[in-house]
Amino acid sequence: MSEQLALTEDQRDCLQEVVNVAMGQAGDSLARFLEVFIHLSVPRIRLVAKEDLGTELEGLVGGVGSKVSGVSQGFYHIEDGKGIRGEAIVVFNDTSFKELADLLAYDEELTDAAEKELLMDVTNVLNGACLNGIGEQIETELAYSPPTILGQHVPIADLLEHEKLSWGHALLVEISYTLEDRSFNCTMFLLMPGESILVMKEELDKLLEDL
Amino acid sequence: MSIPLLICDDSAMARKQVKRAIPDGWDVDITLATNGVEGIEAIRSGKGEMVFLDLTMPELDGYGVLEKVKAEGHKSIIIVISADIQPEARERVMGLGALDFVKKPIDGKKLTEVLNKYGLL
Repeated sequence: MSEQLALTEDQRDCLQEVVNVAMGQAGDSLARFLEVFIHLSVPRIRLVAKEDLGTELEGLVGGVGSKVSGVSQGFYHIEDGKGIRGEAIVVFNDTSFKELADLLAYDEELTDAAEKELLMDVTNVLNGACLNGIGEQIETELAYSPPTILGQHVPIADLLEHEKLSWGHALLVEISYTLEDRSFNCTMFLLMPGESILVMKEELDKLLEDL
Repeated sequence: MSIPLLICDDSAMARKQVKRAIPDGWDVDITLATNGVEGIEAIRSGKGEMVFLDLTMPELDGYGVLEKVKAEGHKSIIIVISADIQPEARERVMGLGALDFVKKPIDGKKLTEVLNKYGLL
């Protein structure tokens, strides 16, 4: 199955550019929201097996044992259930909360509830712009479900409980937003499982044919 | 004589999109670079009198290329073509000597408009 799901070099390059454009739009939204300059890096794309997801995420977000908080939001093709679908997951490291509260001039004590609100606000800003950006380019209107908290102050490998994941392989896209001179770092992961990758590959081929 | 034009972008798709957006009949001799390090090398060897430059790239990003061009005193005319649409990104590249900024995905009409604005066609 995984061979069938693997992207060709052209498809990977094409998806990376599609994500790059969407990331630019999301970065601009976040910059306006926080009134800062957001540093963008090249998005990373890889195919992961379910059992390797935890290790992959640890590698991306800052090593074993680092504590994070995360929100997940499902997205799907608006017309039918067979199109592109997946999850957009926004992850903050623990030190980012103080920075975030500081940037938004949040005076009150940072309780779990207050952190949840900050998480949700940033998730809405990022996911809306990013998913619309991807949808526009592949000419697919993506709808999304309400965001849910995956966990607060937990090791990243624990954010996603493996036994609950219904897929074997998924396409993992990592988009990182950082701030200069501050320890704020927020990472967005797009996870597109199994059959959804095949649909995405078809969409990418269409874009490539148009070149 | 053709103008040496360098397209510097890490994405093959973006390089093709930029190539396709180049106005018909514009006499250019195109060189492609896939990151900032390759880009600055091409500029040093005279292949980038005009440069279409991406910002987010591995090895050396577009800001790095602009800094090096400035430091080394190359006379390249650089138009940044990037998905980073933050107003501050535009201000920063203009501050580093870019002529203008065109957002991605690139629109051929917009690129022609910008080139015309500076009398480059």
